[in-house]
Amino acid sequence: MTTTAKTPDRIDAILRACRLMLRMNKARPDARKSEVLYYEMLIDYCTQLATAKQQGRFIAAHTVFFPSEVLYAMDIVPMHTETTSWMTALFLGQYADLLAAGAEQGLSSEICSPHRGLAGALSIGALPRPDAVLWSNMVCDNTAKCGELLMKITGSPGFFLDRPFQRSEAEVRYFVEELRDMITFLEVQSGLKMDWDKLSQTVRHMDEQIDLFREINRLREAVPSPFHPQGFLELVTVDYLFPGRPKATEYLRTLRDEMAAAVAEHRGAVPKERYRLMTLFMPPMYLIGFLEKLSREYGAVSTTEPFFCNWGEGRLDPAKPLESVARKSYMLPESHMFGPMGEKAIGEIVDSARRHRVDGAVYYADVGCRHTCAVIKLFKDALSEIDVPVLTVDCDVVDPTITSEGEVREKLERFFELLDDRR
Amino acid sequence: MIAVGLDVGSLSTKAVVMGDDGILSSTVVLSSDSAEASAKAALEQALAKTSGDGDIYVVSTGAGGKAVSFSRQNKAITTCLARGVHYLLPEARTAIDMGAESITVVRINERGRVSDYGNQDKCAAGTGIFLQQMAKLLRLSMEEMSAASARARARAEITGTCAVFAESEVISHIHRDPPTPVEDIVAGIYSSMVHRIMVQLQRVGMKKELAVTGGVAANSGLVSILAEQIGYSVLIPPTPELAGAIGAALIAKENMMQGAS
Repeated sequence: MTTTAKTPDRIDAILRACRLMLRMNKARPDARKSEVLYYEMLIDYCTQLATAKQQGRFIAAHTVFFPSEVLYAMDIVPMHTETTSWMTALFLGQYADLLAAGAEQGLSSEICSPHRGLAGALSIGALPRPDAVLWSNMVCDNTAKCGELLMKITGSPGFFLDRPFQRSEAEVRYFVEELRDMITFLEVQSGLKMDWDKLSQTVRHMDEQIDLFREINRLREAVPSPFHPQGFLELVTVDYLFPGRPKATEYLRTLRDEMAAAVAEHRGAVPKERYRLMTLFMPPMYLIGFLEKLSREYGAVSTTEPFFCNWGEGRLDPAKPLESVARKSYMLPESHMFGPMGEKAIGEIVDSARRHRVDGAVYYADVGCRHTCAVIKLFKDALSEIDVPVLTVDCDVVDPTITSEGEVREKLERFFELLDDRR
Repeated sequence: MIAVGLDVGSLSTKAVVMGDDGILSSTVVLSSDSAEASAKAALEQALAKTSGDGDIYVVSTGAGGKAVSFSRQNKAITTCLARGVHYLLPEARTAIDMGAESITVVRINERGRVSDYGNQDKCAAGTGIFLQQMAKLLRLSMEEMSAASARARARAEITGTCAVFAESEVISHIHRDPPTPVEDIVAGIYSSMVHRIMVQLQRVGMKKELAVTGGVAANSGLVSILAEQIGYSVLIPPTPELAGAIGAALIAKENMMQGAS
């Protein structure tokens, strides 16, 4: 383990950045109420993580798309590994030392950078040491393979949650049993008991949240778009960090109402909307501020992101909470986009492009994310059939050595020119 | 008013002067450290060849196009290539521009607009600069390289993924015992470049007819291996290096006609 340099606690730094953002938002007369709620939630999340050790609370580090409803119902403090990892890049712009520390763990530059950075962060103590590591195969092979190394680095016990790739009733039943085994593991490790009523309440909230996400997506079909150009990152963070949390429901209701009011008044998020875009996969976190500014400058708004917050069909039943958690894993936007890539998933992309009346799509091809890069051609061909051009930006979600701000600006400006030229 | 298109590339700067009846003059100058100075030199030379006078409306493009202060508008090379190729070869639906530092593939619609595009600008492998480097290494001129490849009996295996590694491989072929025939090395170099081009072509999607532009298009050996690889013959305009500048000049002319300032 490398502990050669004093490493500032990243959670504490993110917490300070979020407090600053909250203060700035509260001081702005035109600030969205939902945005204030958003930063309050992030502050609560980070505060819990920062104070968990002092308060003797149990921290479980879990990978992306993990059913953290179960953790909330057990009063366990969750640490969403990938999101915590990229928030470091988003709010602090500091990631190089974490990637370097990841390299010392034997993770080469071809591997997913949030995972590299996460392993690095845990190895140098930039994130709190979890009491348990939970990981799954719900999204990609890298996520499925990262747990053992995190266990080794942290010296924490771990549980691998096996979610079958395909969906059938037998597979849902199998996954429910996996969830039961995980709950038993967590009960043994933490000494805490599952509160089934609380899980039921969480599922009820989650069901409402999924509906709210769907409503919000429908509102974003309006011209002009009522949501700010890169606003979906806010939605993704809420989706990842706060599933079934009452405050997340409040946030989504508030945002829905704000958007509905904007749509009724034909008020767009940018002064002059010129380009409606589909965003495929995740833009570089360290460029989000720049992308927001560039989007405003050119009147370019991301109106749909099929990989994120784009929930599949189905409802959750609070009377069957564990089964609902299992079923939800198959309704996850990322699950039906990253999972078996059938005609249905491709069809959803095309439908979404039509419904949101997009002029073009931008595919942020994260060089370390093999499965998203593998489907670029499929998406591009499908969108080309409805005359939607796709710009592919080779980049990395947190590693700034792959693509510079200038390069992204150049590519986007050229793409906007192409969109103009086609009119 | 005189419409001028300027394509400021990293190795050469091209200027095209466009009149009512077509191209009035053109010129190609070597690019200097200053894009502005290169553009000015190309513009002056091209204008000196024409008798027209009046206001000049310049549209610039290329790697240094944005740095040209006297340009009224800067356009993407993809947009200009589409216009230029459509003007020169209206039947072309795909253009491959092989420039000094990048390979750009543009799919063109029936109106001369870009349908889709892709470019490889992360590595010198497959570009004009790479070809120059190889020519220097083999002590051959471009023409001699083309002629040599026509005599090749085989193609030396050369990696197409990295310019630096490719150079090492060429050196290793030269020093083998017995050495790989120079003709086969040249054919291998072309083949590795074609491999890079094919990756871009497949990414963007190829539609007949296919035009090849850029300075490298003048290399007949390379173009014949490319045609062999795609399975049909390619179109090469009479002045392949001017396609981008012609497109820029056409846009300048359109802007003038629409009364743009």
